[in-house]
Amino acid sequence: MKRYALALALVLALAAGFGCAKKTETIQDGISPEMQAAIQQITDARVYFAFDKFDIKPEYQDMLKAKAELMKQFPSIRVRIEGNCDERGTQEYNLALGERRARAAYEYLVTLGVNPGQLEMISYGKENPAVQGTGEAVWAQNRRDDFRVIAH
Amino acid sequence: MKQFLLVLALVPVLCLLTVESRAAMRVDIINPGQAVINLALATPLKEGQKEATGMGRELQKMVEQNLSFLPFMRLTDPKAVLGGTLLPGHEPPALDFRRFQLAGSDIVVTTFWPDGDSGTRPVQIRAFETNTGGRLFGKEYLKVAKRDLPEVADRFCADLLEALTGNGAFFRSTLAFIKKTGKLSANVWLVKPTGRDLRQITKMQGEAMSPAWSPDGRFVVFSHIDPKSHALGVWDSSSRKVQRIRFPGNVVIGPAFTPDNKVAVALSNGKYPVIFLLNHVFQKERILEQSNSINVSPTFDSTGTKMAFTSSRLGGPQIFLKDLTSGRITRVSQNGSYNTEANLSPDGTLVVYSRMTDYGHRIFVQDMLTGLERQVSFGPGSDEQPAFCADSYFIAFSSTRGGGRGIYLTTRHGGDAKRVPTGDGPASFPRWGMPAAAK
Repeated sequence: MKRYALALALVLALAAGFGCAKKTETIQDGISPEMQAAIQQITDARVYFAFDKFDIKPEYQDMLKAKAELMKQFPSIRVRIEGNCDERGTQEYNLALGERRARAAYEYLVTLGVNPGQLEMISYGKENPAVQGTGEAVWAQNRRDDFRVIAH
Repeated sequence: MKQFLLVLALVPVLCLLTVESRAAMRVDIINPGQAVINLALATPLKEGQKEATGMGRELQKMVEQNLSFLPFMRLTDPKAVLGGTLLPGHEPPALDFRRFQLAGSDIVVTTFWPDGDSGTRPVQIRAFETNTGGRLFGKEYLKVAKRDLPEVADRFCADLLEALTGNGAFFRSTLAFIKKTGKLSANVWLVKPTGRDLRQITKMQGEAMSPAWSPDGRFVVFSHIDPKSHALGVWDSSSRKVQRIRFPGNVVIGPAFTPDNKVAVALSNGKYPVIFLLNHVFQKERILEQSNSINVSPTFDSTGTKMAFTSSRLGGPQIFLKDLTSGRITRVSQNGSYNTEANLSPDGTLVVYSRMTDYGHRIFVQDMLTGLERQVSFGPGSDEQPAFCADSYFIAFSSTRGGGRGIYLTTRHGGDAKRVPTGDGPASFPRWGMPAAAK
């Protein structure tokens, strides 16, 4: 009997935990397919940069415009822009460069009419590579902005 | 209280032993072409002039290890000493200088345990010039137990170094550094430059980087990055607690202390990181440097009137020096397109920094008096994050030359780099400091 009670308590605790998780970084089921698709589109597409640069290349402008439209369509979506660098630069300078990269995308989205309250930024410098390894092919994939939906 | 008693017990009895000192021998470590000193360690003795094989032998090993970190010191091989290093006495006239002269030794060090070398006992250590027989210095350390041996070895070596060069900071220093355990996961550790007293001081989720000691040895500050934010981490050695202080904006990069115990750090202020001076309670006090470019990694000389920093104002990152009195800024790094991580020598005459090359980063020293630049590290791998010791002579840096990233020591003149033992895992960001107890 005692065991059943313990198991029940655990199940309830877990259920309560999941119930509170809507505003966390894990996107939950139970949202509309349109919202789900918007989140997917915002998250999937990244912006890539040249070495030691933070200007948005023309080929990423349409992608950012699409993100901006989705964020305006779903104003409950909040996005964290994460600026990253490749491994070649040094850590402190890369933290600053990563911030400039995140800020470049932030300013572009705000210029397109996204509410600044829907956006936040962070730089991970070279501490959060998307791809491990060395060589230009790897470095090019790590010089990037990630877009993480943190609330919806 | 315990520590205080230990320090008291270790206070050397200076007066009796230094009265006859004749500090004739000096080693110039500042100018290039420094001399090499040959030093012999006589076999440690105890009462009855017998060999001290307990704590005596252990202390001798530690002193030997310590001295191997001094590039200008060569230890005499005991086998090269005719008649051996076991002497009939620990001071003249029983001390036979001739055998050490013949072995090429400039200095001989004797250790004497008058009450034996087990339990808790005093120990006397003396250093003599072999040519003149003059005593460089002598010290007695009271109530030495086995656990005190590392501290006695460090104190003796600091005193010896000070007698020879005028500065014993190397053996009185503790390096703060970063140990990485995974992606966005790293904490702050401490270690003596000789590898002793290795210990972790923060246990935080997220990544710590860029540690910096306060001049009074009480605090270590660092940047702290978790998945959501940057913050200034502050470790207080008196409470052993860590604070995480957030600031408006997105970045907290490369904190450094000024000589008056205030922190300078790059924080967001509009579009670009700006170097701010914080007050004693870690609030923004004033801007030290800003421009329409990245400005990060401030570093100061011991007067606090000069600040070196990294800036992208000319395109790629370069090193600049700001006279904080006049506001005048001069470019320091003249070669290469990517120079970062400046560290100003406490005497204000040298700036050390890393430069990106085709083969990884390398460490360079710019002499601010002559304008000459000297490369002091040559890989392999990547050499980064150089930092001057308080003596403006030793430089610690991190390197991947041994496979994983580790901490190495070299000097303002370059030369062979020696690895600092830091245990398992990659170690980086070495920063010198002098904990209050070591002063």
